[in-house]
Amino acid sequence: MPPLLSVENLSTHFVTKAATVKAVNQVSFQVNPGETVGIVGESGSGKSITMLSVMGLVPSPPGQIVSGQVYFEGQDLLKLPLEQLRQIRGNQMAMIFQDPLSSLNPVLRIGKQLVEAIRRHTNLSSADAKAHAIHLLQRVHIPNAAQRINAYPHQFSGGMRQRVMIAMGLACNPKLLIADEPTTALDVTIQAQIVELIKELRADLGMAVVWITHDLSLLAGLADRILVMYAGQIVEQAPLLDLYANPRHPYTLGLLQSIPRLDAAQQTRLRPIAGLPPNLANYPQGCPFAPRCQYAIDRCTTEDPTLEAISPEHQVACWVKPERP
Amino acid sequence: MTRYFFKRLLSGIFTIWITTIAVTLLIHLVPGDPVQIMYAQSQSTTPEQLEQIRRNLGLDRPIYEQYIMYMGRILQGDFGTTIRGNQPVLDLLLVRLPNTLLLTTASLVVTIVVGVTAGFFAAYKRDTWIDSTLMTAAILGISVPSFWLGLMLMYIFSMQLGWLPVSGTSLRNLILPAITLGLANAASVSRLTRSSMIDVLTQDYMRTARAKGLKEGTVLSRHALRNGLVNVVNMLGLQFTYMMGGAIVVENVFAWNGIGRLAIQSIFQRDYPTIQGFILIFATVVVVVSMVLDLLYVWIDPRITYK
Ligand SMILES: Nc1ncnc2c1ncn2[C@@H]1O[C@H](COP(=O)(O)OP(=O)(O)OP(=O)(O)O)[C@@H](O)[C@H]1O
Ligand SMILES: [Mg+2]
Repeated sequence: MPPLLSVENLSTHFVTKAATVKAVNQVSFQVNPGETVGIVGESGSGKSITMLSVMGLVPSPPGQIVSGQVYFEGQDLLKLPLEQLRQIRGNQMAMIFQDPLSSLNPVLRIGKQLVEAIRRHTNLSSADAKAHAIHLLQRVHIPNAAQRINAYPHQFSGGMRQRVMIAMGLACNPKLLIADEPTTALDVTIQAQIVELIKELRADLGMAVVWITHDLSLLAGLADRILVMYAGQIVEQAPLLDLYANPRHPYTLGLLQSIPRLDAAQQTRLRPIAGLPPNLANYPQGCPFAPRCQYAIDRCTTEDPTLEAISPEHQVACWVKPERP
Repeated sequence: MTRYFFKRLLSGIFTIWITTIAVTLLIHLVPGDPVQIMYAQSQSTTPEQLEQIRRNLGLDRPIYEQYIMYMGRILQGDFGTTIRGNQPVLDLLLVRLPNTLLLTTASLVVTIVVGVTAGFFAAYKRDTWIDSTLMTAAILGISVPSFWLGLMLMYIFSMQLGWLPVSGTSLRNLILPAITLGLANAASVSRLTRSSMIDVLTQDYMRTARAKGLKEGTVLSRHALRNGLVNVVNMLGLQFTYMMGGAIVVENVFAWNGIGRLAIQSIFQRDYPTIQGFILIFATVVVVVSMVLDLLYVWIDPRITYK
């Protein structure tokens, strides 16, 4: 089966007079139909910009996709005329964001915001579109959907707002849903509900999901495959279980060690990764993780490792590839 | 909403009440004997006549009594009569008020159309030559006094090109003064619109709108403009106040027969009752219009309704 989304050597930079920030560097990955891919990494590692590049939504200026291809169902989105890309956005490929309050327009009723998404990509009459909008709200389990459709975003709770965002994303049954930290702004119980909701909808609709998070533990039971990003690069990618069982990049190792484990013995302490990610405006020579890496060898500071397969589905960008101690 | 409305109404009434006090004190704040000042130009009045006038105006009584008398008359719609000609002041003002309202409304339309359009494009084309050209024009617009702009427009369009009449009070005559007064305020509205739009254009909901695949025109008109206008509408009340002030100057430049022109004439004639009436009507109009514009603001931004 050909991949639904195939990103090849994507680089996105922010070019200002003061500096060029290399937010995404030579990123390649694929998403298969119906598959859920998790993208994990620290704040500023380029997760959002990678997926915004796919959607063609990088703020420009200053953002600029400097190289690469983004194939969606075989079509290179980066070469597509803007109008054709717009017909795919919100239709076959949808994206939901971290902060549902600021992501909804405060002065428009949510019904209007849903209906405009529906009518953009269908020929439904406004009455039919409204009926569909109510149906979508019911689908994301918003009670009293028929009345709530006339409310404004500020009249909803955080969790309900994110449900509205999800309903909006599902307006045209997308083949790919990109969820950019959709639960980060919510409290823990609501987080779990949203994760469950997306799992449920994913099963019903058979859509592929790209789930961005900085919390590796959230992806357990959710993602099929995981991409680990560091400083704008993919440093490791593997099926979920493979990655948990056999992480081979020191950064992934660090991420796993910073997750509290219920089954761990009392004395094993949580170990956050020491140090800070590099300044993307002044990209270091060699491996970007080397300055923070306890396994670094001389070669790491001079040569940037590229992704290398250690098994058919598991790739690591590291000269050392240490086994978990 | 209702509570907000009543709060707004009360503060409006309070403002007008304060104005009535100020208006009563006005006569006594000007140095010299008001009656003598008023009648200085007519030699024929004798001291006995002056005394008679003083008594008629109630100026021989204590100030608080004067105030109560004044309020009593005003509440009955009696604003007094003009010094010369003995016409009822209220009639005189009410005949001319529509002209002033016509001028300020037309100017407000010019301000909004020119100011919002310019500010919107400057924000959308931020940091390009379009932006810098528009904003340079806006700074010029703010620094140029409106009487000078008015005289220039008059010189070009009436005297050189002969397209429009020099002065008077007809619909064709409205064009130049409305443009003069409108442009003077458009400059500051365009700057406000620009900064407000720049803020809106980087908001998350703009990204959401684009993520839906909406056309750029829809994204801008439905999602950006309405949010950007919230701040602009919020400022319109203040703009209208400036505009009423500006109308006094512009009406005189273009001989537009509004209350502003009447006010200046009355000041030259030391016609206190008319000046007092003018101030009261002026304040009332400003209060009422700002109130209406504030309600518009509440209507356009649903978040405020529940505060
Ligand atoms: N508008 C912008 N102008 C300049 N640099 C930007 C801009 N947006 C993002 N960047 C830079 O791009 C880099 C990647 O940002 P990105 O938003 O993709 O990070 P992220 O991995 O999604 O982080 P987070 O977990 O905080 O959302 C950051 O270092 C940031 O400084
Ligand atoms: Mg992000």
